[in-house]
Amino acid sequence: MIQVPPADREPVRHLYVHIPFCHRICPYCGFYKHTPGATDRKRFIAALVAEAHHAAATIPLDIETVFFGGGTPTLLSHTHLELLLDGLHQTLPLSNVREWTFEANPKTFDRAKLEILRTHGATRLSLGVQSWNSQFLQLLGRDHTPEGARESFELARQSGFPSLGIDLMFALPGQTIDQWRDDIDTTLDLQPDHISTYNLTYEEDTEFMQRFERGEFHQDPDADAPFFLLAAEKIPAKGYHHYEISNYARPGHASQHNSAYWKGSSYLGLGPSAVSTIHRQRWTNIPDTTRYIEAVESFHHARGSAETLTDNDWRTERLALALRTSQGIALEMVGGPHNPTVQSLLEQNLAHIRQTHLALTRKGRLLADTIATELL
Amino acid sequence: MDPALTRNFSIIAHIDHGKTTLSDRLLEVTRTITERQKQDQLLDAMDLERERGITIKAHPVTMAYAARDGKTYQLNLLDTPGHVDFSYEVSRSLAACEGALVLVDAAQGVEAQTVANVQLAMNQNLMILPIINKIDLPGADPEKCRHQIEEVLALPGEDALLASAKEGIGIEDILEAIVERVPPPRLRGDDTLRASVFDSVFDSYRGVVSYVRVFSGTIEKGRRIRMMATGNDYEVKEVGVFTPKQSPRPALGPGDVGYLIANVKSTADVKIGDTVTDARKPAAEALPGFKEIHPMVFAGVYPVSSEDFEQLKLAIGKLQINDAALTFMAESSAALGFGFRCGFLGLLHMEIVLERLRREFGMDVISTYPGVVYEVDKTNGETQVIDNPLMLPEPQEIEEIREPLVKAFIMLPNEYIGDVLQLAMEKRGIVDHTETIDDGRVMLVCLLPLNEILVDFNDRLKSMTRGYGSMDYEHAGYQPAKLVRMDMLIAGEPVDAFATIVHRDKAASYGRKLAAKLKDVIPRQLFVVAIQAAVGGKIIARESIGAMRKNVTAKCYGGDITRKRKLLEKQKEGKKKMKAIGRVSIPQEAFIEVLKTSG
Ligand SMILES: Nc1nc2c(ncn2[C@@H]2O[C@H](COP(=O)(O)OP(=O)(O)OP(=O)(O)O)[C@@H](O)[C@H]2O)c(=O)[nH]1
Ligand code: SF4
Ligand SMILES: [Mg+2]
Repeated sequence: MIQVPPADREPVRHLYVHIPFCHRICPYCGFYKHTPGATDRKRFIAALVAEAHHAAATIPLDIETVFFGGGTPTLLSHTHLELLLDGLHQTLPLSNVREWTFEANPKTFDRAKLEILRTHGATRLSLGVQSWNSQFLQLLGRDHTPEGARESFELARQSGFPSLGIDLMFALPGQTIDQWRDDIDTTLDLQPDHISTYNLTYEEDTEFMQRFERGEFHQDPDADAPFFLLAAEKIPAKGYHHYEISNYARPGHASQHNSAYWKGSSYLGLGPSAVSTIHRQRWTNIPDTTRYIEAVESFHHARGSAETLTDNDWRTERLALALRTSQGIALEMVGGPHNPTVQSLLEQNLAHIRQTHLALTRKGRLLADTIATELL
Repeated sequence: MDPALTRNFSIIAHIDHGKTTLSDRLLEVTRTITERQKQDQLLDAMDLERERGITIKAHPVTMAYAARDGKTYQLNLLDTPGHVDFSYEVSRSLAACEGALVLVDAAQGVEAQTVANVQLAMNQNLMILPIINKIDLPGADPEKCRHQIEEVLALPGEDALLASAKEGIGIEDILEAIVERVPPPRLRGDDTLRASVFDSVFDSYRGVVSYVRVFSGTIEKGRRIRMMATGNDYEVKEVGVFTPKQSPRPALGPGDVGYLIANVKSTADVKIGDTVTDARKPAAEALPGFKEIHPMVFAGVYPVSSEDFEQLKLAIGKLQINDAALTFMAESSAALGFGFRCGFLGLLHMEIVLERLRREFGMDVISTYPGVVYEVDKTNGETQVIDNPLMLPEPQEIEEIREPLVKAFIMLPNEYIGDVLQLAMEKRGIVDHTETIDDGRVMLVCLLPLNEILVDFNDRLKSMTRGYGSMDYEHAGYQPAKLVRMDMLIAGEPVDAFATIVHRDKAASYGRKLAAKLKDVIPRQLFVVAIQAAVGGKIIARESIGAMRKNVTAKCYGGDITRKRKLLEKQKEGKKKMKAIGRVSIPQEAFIEVLKTSG
């Protein structure tokens, strides 16, 4: 069924860098992050550069996309950002980079900081707005106000970022469909190049999970369906392509970095908790900043857990990820068009065939996980 | 032992009137058990008996009692179960006795099983001693009980002893009354060995242990005996009495109750009710045997995971060794895999067997909905006996279907008669007559289809009479009825585990109930699932399960991929454990849920 490419020596073209600092911890967030506290940021940056250096020496690299995530990468000061970006430019082959994204939270940057990012190669900014409703921003424990987010967006526009994205969340506790419609409309009015819409999920070890378990919050996937569908109707109507379950882009603005994950390309991750997958090897860096720094200082890397993907693992992942995208999955990977499961998905208008691929319809995208399980 | 100094008696009563507790007191007062061995309901030795507080098997025990007349008597007591499912245990015990103590709960009065069990004792011409127990209870009304004993049981009420088994009140008087009023074993003219086997158990170390009552002659170790029904001869290895554990004795003589161990291989070789005689000098005629018991209730019993089939077979086989009333035969179901069609005496018996399988054998089992045995006359002249709804012939091949009836004796306080009549009617009952018991209670005698009283009749009776109604029944033959097989279809596929035989007039309402239940427990699928109840190809009830609309779709980037994969793998694992009915995946729990609560 699924063809597994041979473990070749193709260079790795995608780089992720994890900056674990946040100004304040959002109660729903499951990422590895913390307030900077007493962390020696210079030492942290040195560790990141050292890790990059070691990677460049051991792994063939030809980086085409870079993604700075977190945490809040824009929380780093001007000096620290320059230090880090200069350091990476000196150690990594970045001359072929086509896309360089920074995740950014409103009110964590000024014009000068954006300037530093731009001059060091950043092309995209993904702004964590989450909601335009101050009541929900508060519930989500966010630092900014709707006005603040708008100001940050305008600032980024003025700084000439070729690609500007806005991240939103839906299915928030108590959120009505009208409130969600307002969020979408406000976002569309700003005409960003890219929009991500995330279904709120309850992650382990978060305050939201505790409140969920106490029964304060509820989750009804069926009731969330209209939220998803509303976005899936309104946003494409304004010329955005719904190219992945949670992502919409104007032509030419789809995230190439994220698309690489969904295609199953190799990627290198730097920083605490960052995951790398290179051919069939996957490892996760130590998810603890202090220990990460110590590990890099002693061993030049900070790999914690590791796994080797079996053919089966690989196939499952390919299926799960490809089905999320508008391109879908190659038919030969799901047993061809006559596989009864495929037939039944077609009959129920959950999927359609696009040339050589099976792709989910809007209705099918709501059920991507269940459908992937059926096709496994 | 001198037969003149022997007294054999059973303790009989309605459920929970205190038989086993009274046995405790008798054992203590006669010092059969030491202070150290003391524990409540000591004779209920099985875990399940202790936990449920009910007696399932009759328990014999031999006591020595130094009476007021200065002589020491050997008292053989048989504690019996009160539940109707186990009334055959009562009959067998009574056959080993000359007397019976009938307990009446002073607060509850005479109840249905009191009447039934006293009837059994009378049929065997036993001396019956009425005892009003639980006089310590605040609601005790001994005078009313005397009156009921007089009126309902036709026994001399003024002779009834007053006791509290729990508080140890009146125990000496009971012992004296046993000695004075229960006749000693009647001796026959000759000394030919005649002993009746009233139970047998398999002990993995000692082999088959037969419980016997000797009527004439003696048995001792080394004697060659013959089981008259099978004609097989054996050599006796050991004889003894229950104290309550098995204690060897040199011999068992006329009037004794005890056990014998011979080189019998399996309990199947010992027929309960058979007569043991001397192989060299056999008796001319056997003692009267027992009526054979037949299971009345049938259900499919399946292992939850199909690999456990062989293990389940072994486990049921082991239970059957000591539970002759249990029958089983392999069968298979498309929905549940391989299992057994088991026959039980009643629902309590079924529950107990299932629970013992789970507990004593660690088996994870589920059962189908219990049903009864139908007789079917086919148009081609054949008659078929049906214990599985799936075996019911096609409607056009059926001339007549007959279902088993019971004659039910329902005792209840006057004020609830309206409600109970309503219940009887709902269950297709025909009232035969009512009898006044006293100024507060009546007995309703009616004919009911066994199938209708199987599951919730007793519970509903209890709740509508606030615990004061009680029921006993006896089997009353077969009667033609308008019965049909109802199939449940899920997404168009019939699910064999849910097929049932129901009365035509009830099919629609039962079908609706089952469909609604299935709708509740079957998880949503990617497509709309129709649930239908059908009789002879005609849909009589339907429900539909809406298609699943949405998953919780978390974002998925480089760091989330392993987690996403594991989630899908887990879902796939879960799906594998489900039973696939056509395209629909149904979790095992859904079957259990529906089979447990339908009816
Ligand atoms: N108050 C009071 N309770 C009693 C008395 N005798 C028995 N009981 C209680 O009644 C309940 C049933 O007693 P059992 O001795 O198990 O009754 P049983 O007749 O053997 O019951 P089955 O074997 O199930 O038919 C227990 O909770 C006893 O403690 C009594 O004299 N007074
Ligand atoms: S800012 Fe982002 S990374 Fe930081 S806690 Fe909030 S959601 Fe998590
Ligand atoms: Mg008992």
